[in-house]
Amino acid sequence: MSSSKRVSTAPAAPKSPTVLAPTLVIGEHAVLTGTYLITLGSNTVVHPRTKLNSTYAPITIGNNCIISERSIIGLQSPGSDQGMTIENGVVVEVGAIVEAKSIGEGSIIEVNAKIGKHAVLGKHCKIGPMCEVGEHEIVPDFTVLFGNGMRRIDRSGVEDLKLKMVARQVEILRKLIPNNLAKFK
Amino acid sequence: MSTFMPYAYFQCPCTDSFPQSRNLGDESPVSVSSSFDQDDRTFDPRAPRANYSLYPLEHLLYCEDCHQIRCPRCVLDEIVTWYCPNCLFEVPSSTVKSEGNRCTRSCFQCPICIAPLSVSSVEPHPEGLGAENLTVGGPYVLNCAHCYWSSKEIGIQFDKPNGIFAQLAKIKNGGEPIITARERRKDREERNRDTSAGPAVDEDGVQEERAANLDPNEILDAESQFSNLKAFYQSQLAEASPTSALTFSGGDYGYGSPGALSRIMGLYTGGSFADKKSKSKKGMMREAQDALEGLQIVSPTSEDEIINRLQTEGWDSTASTVQKDEQSTYTRFINDLRPIAHLLRTKRAKRCKTCRHILSKPEPKVQTTRFRIRLVALNCIPSISINPLSPLLPGQKSAFLVTPLKPTQFLLTFTNPLFEIVKVNIATPAQTPGRFANKVTVLCPQFEIGANTDAWEEALREGSKGIEREKRRTKAEATEGQHQAEAGKVWERGRNWVSVVVEVVPASLSFEGPDFMKSEEMLRDGGALREDEDVLEIPVFVRVDWEADAAHDESGGLSGGGRGESEVREKRELAYWCVLGVGRIAQD
Ligand SMILES: [Zn+2]
Ligand SMILES: [Zn+2]
Ligand SMILES: [Zn+2]
Ligand SMILES: [Zn+2]
Repeated sequence: MSSSKRVSTAPAAPKSPTVLAPTLVIGEHAVLTGTYLITLGSNTVVHPRTKLNSTYAPITIGNNCIISERSIIGLQSPGSDQGMTIENGVVVEVGAIVEAKSIGEGSIIEVNAKIGKHAVLGKHCKIGPMCEVGEHEIVPDFTVLFGNGMRRIDRSGVEDLKLKMVARQVEILRKLIPNNLAKFK
Repeated sequence: MSTFMPYAYFQCPCTDSFPQSRNLGDESPVSVSSSFDQDDRTFDPRAPRANYSLYPLEHLLYCEDCHQIRCPRCVLDEIVTWYCPNCLFEVPSSTVKSEGNRCTRSCFQCPICIAPLSVSSVEPHPEGLGAENLTVGGPYVLNCAHCYWSSKEIGIQFDKPNGIFAQLAKIKNGGEPIITARERRKDREERNRDTSAGPAVDEDGVQEERAANLDPNEILDAESQFSNLKAFYQSQLAEASPTSALTFSGGDYGYGSPGALSRIMGLYTGGSFADKKSKSKKGMMREAQDALEGLQIVSPTSEDEIINRLQTEGWDSTASTVQKDEQSTYTRFINDLRPIAHLLRTKRAKRCKTCRHILSKPEPKVQTTRFRIRLVALNCIPSISINPLSPLLPGQKSAFLVTPLKPTQFLLTFTNPLFEIVKVNIATPAQTPGRFANKVTVLCPQFEIGANTDAWEEALREGSKGIEREKRRTKAEATEGQHQAEAGKVWERGRNWVSVVVEVVPASLSFEGPDFMKSEEMLRDGGALREDEDVLEIPVFVRVDWEADAAHDESGGLSGGGRGESEVREKRELAYWCVLGVGRIAQD
């Protein structure tokens, strides 16, 4: 779509193998590295300058997800090569570092949060800004991490509403982010 | 090592009545009586009390009537405006008196994480274009966007999206209605009417509100219990001495009256304090008998209930100390927490404690940040900035990290904010007080600073002066190799500023060496370095004098033309202690 004359800042590493859904929105300056497979689902938005690293394990991201800029997805050091699965409707905010084994549907990883290696996040969790989930930790469904490591279970029961909100946000981002799907195929 | 920023703190002279001093090597300051001479004493910035009298210049005010620095300790605060920090709504002080110091609109904080709560409908939002024009129907809940808490969790929903405070006051956690104080009063009145059959006067003229028939064994919340108890004792006091019953009908302010005090004393001392009149009519006061009168009997099983609840619901259901502290009543469980109404903030005016003149007065409007009056010390006394004299050497991490026993020179720049030429005298002790005595020498302790002339004048003069200054600069640079700070000479001078050099020989922070070389305090204390003891702090006594117009100095010296002989020039003098933090002593 946009054929910028600027040279891409991404290293000239071999393209990582990808399976990209046709309705995916991915910014030109997103960085996909690594040798394992990266799978991105339909209606998912990958912002520019997002880093997806499949050097140590494959990455699978579901539908209707939003992966924000300067977030880092994928193992950053050797570990189990089981791979990472991010389910549908997950929002990863700016600057978050996600090395989890799986992240349940509708979870939100807030700004600069950290999900440790091989952690398992349940459905509809919210990891607050700057909060951290330890390595191999298992976080039950509907857990909210906030403040200085405080935790609670969200019983408001509005998860469907939140998924709808994410879908609406995706629709807006689709108009705002210049898509360059071809570059990553 | 953390980075060090040099600082200059000023001591407000209001603390002068209890000056702190100590001899070199002493652990704690000597008491005032034992110090021999007033003038010999050095202000000790490390004395524990010094923390309470040192301020950055920006925090200080200046009273133009007393001609003195004023710090937060010697000013009086006056509240100009109460407002809610969340909705920025101004609250009249009468409302604050009657309703308390919390926002009574819809501003609430999350009881779990203190983030602001927002009101939203339980119904799903309509979707599609023009959705914002559609009104979303109730019921409404308070939602926390940060931790996802919702008032639904404590069983509270609202019919209207506004006036949440009033709605919340009527709902208990769980959704049961609270019987308001007014309804309770109505109930009491009705009871009284039944017994006395007198005409009941409805003060508020609200008739439709039916008084609830209250259960005498009801379990009350703290607020209702208090209001019941208060009403009961007020009626008791009124019955006990009908002559002064009127003083109580006006509200709660009658308790402080001398009559009421003597009567209360009378109750406890068998009536010897009560005056004759009330004594003759004094009836016996009885105690509260049921919940309607505010009596709550602790049920013997109430503790078991709590323990049961703890056992079934577990640790996660208990509120943390922080969460409890925010609540107005004691709350054990998370389900008993209530949304916290936003605490109101104030805008304050400040007055001089001595002469009561206003030193600072903000605009009463919440949205404006301007001040009507603001007499800050920054406009009245010379400010001091500290810079290293020698350029940063390669390998040196920070210019403010000084090497022990190596003479280091710093540049103190005094800037004059006044429209008059000021004479400045500065004095430092030869050795700083404390366990590590640093040697300090001010090379030029006496100098004059030019007036802070009009910006226009400056602009006009800029041409010639600029060149002059440029010349001096180049001259200084030409002789860079030999350019040494000379004793008695100002280092550099500008329109309204002067730089002088101060030389410091930092003490060594090591505790090694023969015992006879150490101070008593060091011997007692052993090896450990105390917190911030490596900071090189210099107490400086500054005396500033200048001549000002005697009549109206507020207008400043700007009215240069037409100064008649009748206008007398007045000598002004200001003296105060400062503390200069110039650097950290390196430890090896
Ligand atoms: Zn003061
Ligand atoms: Zn408010
Ligand atoms: Zn909250
Ligand atoms: Zn005054």
